[in-house]
Amino acid sequence: MNTVFVLIGLLLLSYLGSLLMSRRPGGGAGLPSGVEYAALGFVLGPQLLDLVSARDLTAFEPVVQVAIGWLAFGVGLDFGVAEDRRVRPGSLALGALGTLITGAAVTAATWWSLRNLPTDLTATGRLLLSGGIGAACSQTTRYAVRQVADHRRIRDRPLSSRLDEIAHSDALVPLVAVAALFAVDSPHIVTLSMPVCQWPAITICVAILLAGGAALLLRSDMVMEDTWGILFGVALLTIGVAACAGVSTLAASFFMGLALSSFSRHRNALRALVAPTERPVLLPALLLAGARLDFRATAALPWIAAAAIGARVAAKIAVGWVLAAGLSPLRKGGPLAGLSFTSCGALGMCVGLAFALRFPGVIGDTVLAVTVLAAIVGEIVGPAQLRRVLLAAGELDDATARTPRPRRVTV
Amino acid sequence: MTRAAAAERGAAAHLAHAAVLAGFGTLVFYVTRVVPVAGSNLWTIATLGFLLLAGTLTSELTSPLGLPHLTGYLAAGIAAGPHVLRLVDESTLKGLSPVNTLALSLIALAGGAELELTTLRRGARSLLWALLVQTSLVFVVTVGVFYAARPLLPFAQALAPSAAVGAALCWGALAVTRSPSATLGILSQTRASGPLATFTLAFVMASDVVVVVLLAAVIGIARPLLEPGETLSFGAFAKLGHELFGSVAIGTTLGLVIAVYLRLVNRQMLLVLLVLGFGVSSVLEYLQFDSLLAFMVAGIVVRNLSRQGRKFIKDIEQTATVVYVVFFALTGADLDVPLLRSLWPVALIFAGARAVTTWVASRAASGIAQDEPILRRWGAAGLVSQAGLTLGLSIVVAREFPVIGVPFRALTIATVAINEVVGPVLFKLALDRAQETSRQPAVSFPSMRPPPPARPS
Repeated sequence: MNTVFVLIGLLLLSYLGSLLMSRRPGGGAGLPSGVEYAALGFVLGPQLLDLVSARDLTAFEPVVQVAIGWLAFGVGLDFGVAEDRRVRPGSLALGALGTLITGAAVTAATWWSLRNLPTDLTATGRLLLSGGIGAACSQTTRYAVRQVADHRRIRDRPLSSRLDEIAHSDALVPLVAVAALFAVDSPHIVTLSMPVCQWPAITICVAILLAGGAALLLRSDMVMEDTWGILFGVALLTIGVAACAGVSTLAASFFMGLALSSFSRHRNALRALVAPTERPVLLPALLLAGARLDFRATAALPWIAAAAIGARVAAKIAVGWVLAAGLSPLRKGGPLAGLSFTSCGALGMCVGLAFALRFPGVIGDTVLAVTVLAAIVGEIVGPAQLRRVLLAAGELDDATARTPRPRRVTV
Repeated sequence: MTRAAAAERGAAAHLAHAAVLAGFGTLVFYVTRVVPVAGSNLWTIATLGFLLLAGTLTSELTSPLGLPHLTGYLAAGIAAGPHVLRLVDESTLKGLSPVNTLALSLIALAGGAELELTTLRRGARSLLWALLVQTSLVFVVTVGVFYAARPLLPFAQALAPSAAVGAALCWGALAVTRSPSATLGILSQTRASGPLATFTLAFVMASDVVVVVLLAAVIGIARPLLEPGETLSFGAFAKLGHELFGSVAIGTTLGLVIAVYLRLVNRQMLLVLLVLGFGVSSVLEYLQFDSLLAFMVAGIVVRNLSRQGRKFIKDIEQTATVVYVVFFALTGADLDVPLLRSLWPVALIFAGARAVTTWVASRAASGIAQDEPILRRWGAAGLVSQAGLTLGLSIVVAREFPVIGVPFRALTIATVAINEVVGPVLFKLALDRAQETSRQPAVSFPSMRPPPPARPS
């Protein structure tokens, strides 16, 4: 089938999806992580119907790179800001600590399982695979709390606000990890000899420099169209340069967004500009992530997935205990309160997709497959547990907890 | 703030923007030297970003000179292109060709949506006379000039007189073409409104149809002249009729569908325009219909048969501005500078002859139609630009007549390059002088108050 028609078909599907999930008074449909789009992509992809063939997926690679880069740019712009307010330093620290604990636990469990399973991976391969799964599974979706709070009309309550801030502050660690992991292989592409450990620093520095340029350009009051030209141009330049140099597109874009948000006095307006573009970009990216899914990547996949997801759940429970030490209302949610943070966002799937693009084959396919499975588990456990915690803390009553509500896909 | 202080501040901002542009250029230059990017799909992304930035910034830097933004986009593309700084290579340009498809569909949709039938009806007399006089006079004169300038053209010298007439006829047909993209680009930037803007847009869009018909006739006549043994055939007209009527029918249907969509749904217009630009264009190409005509008709239908016209134009403008920057920057990058350097004297003669004839024809047509003074004075200024449409038709000529194909196309490229650079400047100058350029400030980036402080811990 013509690649253009396939792309248009995917755009139309995404469009219909976004219509379905519209937040109209009558309600809507859809899961917070958007994992159903990945499932639809899987059905359409080369593993089942082959309507989106492997050749199409190769042709779409630049589109996917742009999509995940743009989403990461949006996450960077929005990092450390919840409800248009800067999050408290304590929340930032807790968010980073939570992802560090979860990522480390998942990485360790995956590494341990790989050592005990028959695979052909080298030590570097094992590092990339376990680290990739750890990075993809460490994060909680930014809107995990906000979505529940919005739909239950909870405003400015202490626990939900604090949890919301933490959820908005946990993208840093996984994206730094991605930058470091991608650097392991970078020097083969670029004709520059540089120690591996310097590549993440280069990624971050280039992103910050580009963001500085963009902030300087956006200092003056520009015509709206020129603002778009500069924003989009700098983002594409960052994504393209990162992709060609073999460093992480996601990390570079995230740090570009983060730096721009820090440097520019127009940060709120920039967020307002970029936020509406998130959904139209995200849904095709999720569809393509699903189309790339290959559950036959390795015979050891079920064991790797079980180890990673088990470690993730255990780590989130542990993170809950750490949080409960400082947040007394959270203690009322019981020992499993940390499971509220198991909602795995589309950013996790973007990390999986980035690995699938950068390390095609066993490593990339396994990271992506485990990420999607983790998202499904998070979908089942996370929102229900969060409602239970908010109910126990008295920020949600029984009647509103049962009210059916619309949801939307977010990163 | 005093005027001097404002000017100083403006100069400082321009200096800063120039420095940032140089910085981005250096980065791209450096990456192309240390990473094997040639032909890489991923480099296409960086190129797209750089062209967008370079176009936007160059247009801003050149605007104090009174030049249109479009000239800035073209200049940025020429500088970054494969013949000057080589930041963008030929294979990357080819990879970015879908942007041209999207841009042309948006240009045609916007062009159609700008045409209000009631206004057109009022100016129908002017338009008809202008079409008649411009088409016939420009065609006849440029055919004559081409024939007379044969000694300057090595490929034409080798042709028999009859074959040279055939080539001259093809040249005349191409000379009649105008540039809808340049016209729309300038109108979009200046947000001009008035008799000159309306007339130019209507003329350029209508002449697109006239040119397609004229070229089909010319190809039929020129075939026996250029290819001895061939007989006069107007078989192409049957195909052309199918193409024109089919395009109008599909465009009407498409316009009605868009109008209903805008009325009932009116959401996610970015996705809708992408689907139109890529998907519908591909379908039209597959069906061998003229996508420019079909989209133009769709725009006219939305504007005139529904109440959604204004809304539709706004939606297109929001998407199209960024696309225009890349489109014109790509056009600049695609400009064959070495070819222009070798052919510029001849190309200048042809471009000059065409421009002068366009001016004379404009004065004559305005006199006959008794147009208002603004049109008499400035009517020709918007009709000089040539761009993608002309180049596209030159490919058709080259394909139909391989005997003159390559050099004929090279000459077209060189002449279009001149018209492409000069035309928009003239049109903007005319709009400024006719006081049709909008004086209301464009919607600027909203300065927002700083975010509230963090909640107390």
